[in-house]
Amino acid sequence: MRAARVALGALGVAGVVWGGWLLRDDGIDRLQSTALWLVGVVVLHDAVLAPLVVALGVVAVKVLPRNHRALAAVVFLVWATVTLAVANVLSGLGGKPGMDSLLNRPYVSAWLVLTGLVVVGVVVTAALRARPRRARAPHP
Amino acid sequence: MRDIVGAIDERIPRPNDFTSPARGTRTAARLGILLGSCIGICFVTGLWSHFQYTSPGWLPIGPDPAWLYRVTQGTHIATGTAAIPLVLVKLWSVYPRLFRRSRKQGIRHLVAGGLERASVGLLVAAVLFQLVTGSLNVVQWYPWSFSFRATHEAVAFVAVGALLTHLAVKLPLVRIALRNPVDDRLSLASDGPSRRAVLVGAGSASALAVLLTAGQTVPFLRRVSVFGVRDGDGPQDLPVNRTARAAGAIEGATDPAFVLELRNGDRTMRLTRAQLEALPQRTHRLPIACVEGWSRNATWTGVAIRDLLALVGADPASVVRVRSLQTRGAFSASELPADFAADSRTLLALQLNGETLNLDHGFPCRIIAPNRPGVLQTKWVTSLEVTA
Repeated sequence: MRAARVALGALGVAGVVWGGWLLRDDGIDRLQSTALWLVGVVVLHDAVLAPLVVALGVVAVKVLPRNHRALAAVVFLVWATVTLAVANVLSGLGGKPGMDSLLNRPYVSAWLVLTGLVVVGVVVTAALRARPRRARAPHP
Repeated sequence: MRDIVGAIDERIPRPNDFTSPARGTRTAARLGILLGSCIGICFVTGLWSHFQYTSPGWLPIGPDPAWLYRVTQGTHIATGTAAIPLVLVKLWSVYPRLFRRSRKQGIRHLVAGGLERASVGLLVAAVLFQLVTGSLNVVQWYPWSFSFRATHEAVAFVAVGALLTHLAVKLPLVRIALRNPVDDRLSLASDGPSRRAVLVGAGSASALAVLLTAGQTVPFLRRVSVFGVRDGDGPQDLPVNRTARAAGAIEGATDPAFVLELRNGDRTMRLTRAQLEALPQRTHRLPIACVEGWSRNATWTGVAIRDLLALVGADPASVVRVRSLQTRGAFSASELPADFAADSRTLLALQLNGETLNLDHGFPCRIIAPNRPGVLQTKWVTSLEVTA
């Protein structure tokens, strides 16, 4: 176990060093840009995205009935992470003028339909769960 | 000063302030296995693409199977997309650890703690960097000044290296976490989601993200993949990755005086498009596949490169330098390795899906070879030169 961990660690350090070595010919401009994006994505996650999710959780606890919170949290998890996974096409950025075979779907409309389906699904499920159950007939 | 630092510290949350029992090692370890698998496949398939671009002598990559590049690069983008929900939920599961303070005093513990944070920071930075830059490359948006291809390769090694180091450090914790059941009574009784629900949610989001985007390379998903970067359509039923206008190739390609030049040492031959059409034609169904994860099969008709090489007395298994008429952008020339040049399916295509090549697909003639990256299927070809 210890030997395996040491080997894994050594291989990992070698990978990191090799990755850094591959950037050795980059000029200062390119390295600065790489560093900016490496740090930027962490700051974006740790200081913006994660606190936003925590804040939404705090609001959800205050607003949602206790028995609906788990469902809402999991549905939000799926909806939010899928949205971020397709944020590249939703952003409207990229593509090139005159290139009609790239980014040629109605992405925002598709996302609105997906979001609408999620909202309807959650509301219907919550309504069904909130309906009082019929009292069972007593056993003879 | 100490009071001010203390007051700020008081306002920063502690790990215990995050009350969801679904966070923590048992969730993180299981997500880590899924995420690590995606990153591993993504790394190997990405590396494969670099090998196909650079054709290293120690790894002879041939034209068979014709679909290999298509499958590896489709898998590269699919696993990268699948990793996005997984990494977000993984980071959510360990987020409270960002706020832990070392209880132990002393410079040694401070340095050790700092190193651990730095290694995790490097891992998170490298993985997020790869996913963000990769997904922007797919939509061809480059808001940075580094070279995407070179930097994406370098940071991939950093990411995988940092991942292996992280695994080496956390292995004992992972083993304990996996030995314990996913959920216990405490988490089931809570009013938030259970660990199992979070894991199922993350897996479902990951699968859904792939399903909604993979249609650009998996034909039967085309209608379902509403977030696919390409719907598969384009001139002559094939998408275009770079137009003739963007490549500055319109003038040269539409010049009535166009001739293709064949060179083998001091033997040179010039052929008009009409003369190329008069040569024996071959038709093959071959995929065109791109590192950005899209691919599509098409029917190509043209002259086999080996037949053209014979016209200038060259061996069919020659290395051929292919030059394009394009005046702008990268990959204006490519090198066809001997194995590809000798394969009778490698064509100088004149027709696509039964029609004369569209200008955006490389009119007057283009290279199409089995198992080759799209950018090396040079369009608007002006010369073929035997180099070895």
